[in-house]
Amino acid sequence: MIAYLLNLATLATVFGILAASLNLLIGYAGIFSMAHAVFFGLGAYAGAQIAMLLVPDVLLACLAAAAVAGLLSLCLALPALRVRGEYFVVASLGLQMVAITVFSEAHAVTGGHGGLVGIPPATLFGLNIGDPGAFLLVCLAVLALVLLGIRVLMRGSFGRSLMAIRDSESAAKAFGKDVPRIKTLAVGLGCALAGVAGALFAFYMAFVNVESFTLEQSVLVMAMVIIGGTATLAGPLIGVLLLLLLPAGLSFLTFIPPTEIGAVQQFIYGLAMTLLMIFRPAGIAGLSTGRR
Amino acid sequence: MLTRRQTLAAAMAAPVAVPLAAPRLARAQQGQPYVVGTLFPMAGPNAEYGGVFTAGVQMALDHIAADRMLGRPVELRAQDSQGTPQGGATGMTKLASVDRANYVLVGFTGVSKAAAPIAARAKVPMVNGGGVGPDLAGLSPYFWNVIPLVNLEVRALLPWLGRSGLKKIALIYVDDPFGNAILAELRRGLPEVGASLVGTFSVPPGSQQFAAVAAKVRDAGADAVYFASYGAQQSQIIKQLRDNGVSQQLLTYSGATLASVAALPEAEGLVFTRQAADWSSDDPVTKRFVTDWRAKHGGDPGSYHQNYYNGTRLFALLAQGLEKQNRPVDGDGLRAELLRVREFAFVGGKASFDDQGCVTMPIEVNKLQGGQYVRLS
Repeated sequence: MIAYLLNLATLATVFGILAASLNLLIGYAGIFSMAHAVFFGLGAYAGAQIAMLLVPDVLLACLAAAAVAGLLSLCLALPALRVRGEYFVVASLGLQMVAITVFSEAHAVTGGHGGLVGIPPATLFGLNIGDPGAFLLVCLAVLALVLLGIRVLMRGSFGRSLMAIRDSESAAKAFGKDVPRIKTLAVGLGCALAGVAGALFAFYMAFVNVESFTLEQSVLVMAMVIIGGTATLAGPLIGVLLLLLLPAGLSFLTFIPPTEIGAVQQFIYGLAMTLLMIFRPAGIAGLSTGRR
Repeated sequence: MLTRRQTLAAAMAAPVAVPLAAPRLARAQQGQPYVVGTLFPMAGPNAEYGGVFTAGVQMALDHIAADRMLGRPVELRAQDSQGTPQGGATGMTKLASVDRANYVLVGFTGVSKAAAPIAARAKVPMVNGGGVGPDLAGLSPYFWNVIPLVNLEVRALLPWLGRSGLKKIALIYVDDPFGNAILAELRRGLPEVGASLVGTFSVPPGSQQFAAVAAKVRDAGADAVYFASYGAQQSQIIKQLRDNGVSQQLLTYSGATLASVAALPEAEGLVFTRQAADWSSDDPVTKRFVTDWRAKHGGDPGSYHQNYYNGTRLFALLAQGLEKQNRPVDGDGLRAELLRVREFAFVGGKASFDDQGCVTMPIEVNKLQGGQYVRLS
């Protein structure tokens, strides 16, 4: 049981980092990216390659993952500077599809559909942290740092500018805000943090392949942020806990016949999400527009 | 509206609160029945496979209980793998650490690869009866295959191809280790039987549109088209090839032994390989399986039913051996017993396992005629 709880807690922590990074884009910058799993994947592949080719140091892998995902975030930042709203959603959807094809075909780097197998257990400054408990602590520390960083940034000039752009880009520009620079920085930061989550995911799973970075994953992370509540620190975490742990909790319902377990779980899961959106449209921890 | 303090408290409590509802279950099963877990996709586009795999497991469990093969009852615990590595890892962790599964049946390559390290750490044998990619061999000492891997199926098809006069073969394959293994095997084996590959067309795993591929296949001038795919693609490839004027002989592997394929009018005449399954055999294991299957389901079983029946039966045979020796039925014991006995009476005949836990079984070539499988060789 402890191993299972550690497993759920580690996955929830990794997805907490991922959801918090997407919240930076959706909640604070108003950039509705449907390609966040791409940067999660870039981080995972970068982290896995560092671990397999150089040294399985989690810090080094996270830095490399953040650098790769942050640099390639320009692919997302460029359309974000030119189009908004539904047009940007379509542009990011295109990026997601292109990236999946690249992940599938770049066999030398990603292992193609077969993926990368045998990622060694993580170390930190030479200490083995492959033990599930130790790795969870590292993940929790990273999550805490990410949340702290976002909180500090969003309370400062950068965050206020970002939220001003989200609420009215024209007004922010009229007040002298450097909109392209601020948006590019926000996208870069959000994607770099997604890369960090990806590197931790790769270490934890010891195996990565393209199936973990599909459009479904992007939609799931977006659902976590929206259901939990955008533009809040706690919202994405609550969304993660709900969407990751609800299926886990439902799997304890032993009265469901084995052949029907998936369908029943999906039904309850979908119904719960629909009801949540009807009765709490701003998300569980969401703030009304006036209180943001 | 929740306050920040309330939401943070809820966030911290949730990961603990939900799973803690279960310890009573865990405690209740300690020292109780053997637990056989399944890690199949039970919802979404691949749910048909989960249902098919589970039906084979359930029939085997019925027979194990009826024969009183084991000193303790066997309980089935199902986890939905969602067909994803992440779902596989979470499901396997629950089966190993909460359900205390003695043995887990799995399908799908990505799920298997993600779950295998967890099973190896927990020393829980995992048995694959669905995935046929050669990269599934030797994943861990506790990962076994009760389905012949696909390179063996292609090798079994080659002599029939040599006799059939089909000399020019076009290949449609999924660009993954499974599809690439078939490509390599055909490239190597076709010249040996006087045939050749006249066109190779890779498709992404999730794709459902094959009209463009069909046009290219038409232009390739092939005598036959081999398609190497799985999941919901199987029926779509057959249907869209026929709809787009590809009238040549279609060839494939055991992945086509699904009811949805057999029911497809466009699949008439499809030639495919699968492990030997002579449903009229007098072999008592096969005869009983087929008789009971027909009585329960009103039709002939498929290869996946057979595989997962065999996979579950393998657990009973190994555990029975260990019980007779008064040894504990755990991962190490089951593995040692597998390597000691090696050969087992399965549905379809005798099967033997190599050092990596991969099965070797006779493979036959079949043709789909009127919704029935007709053996060709």
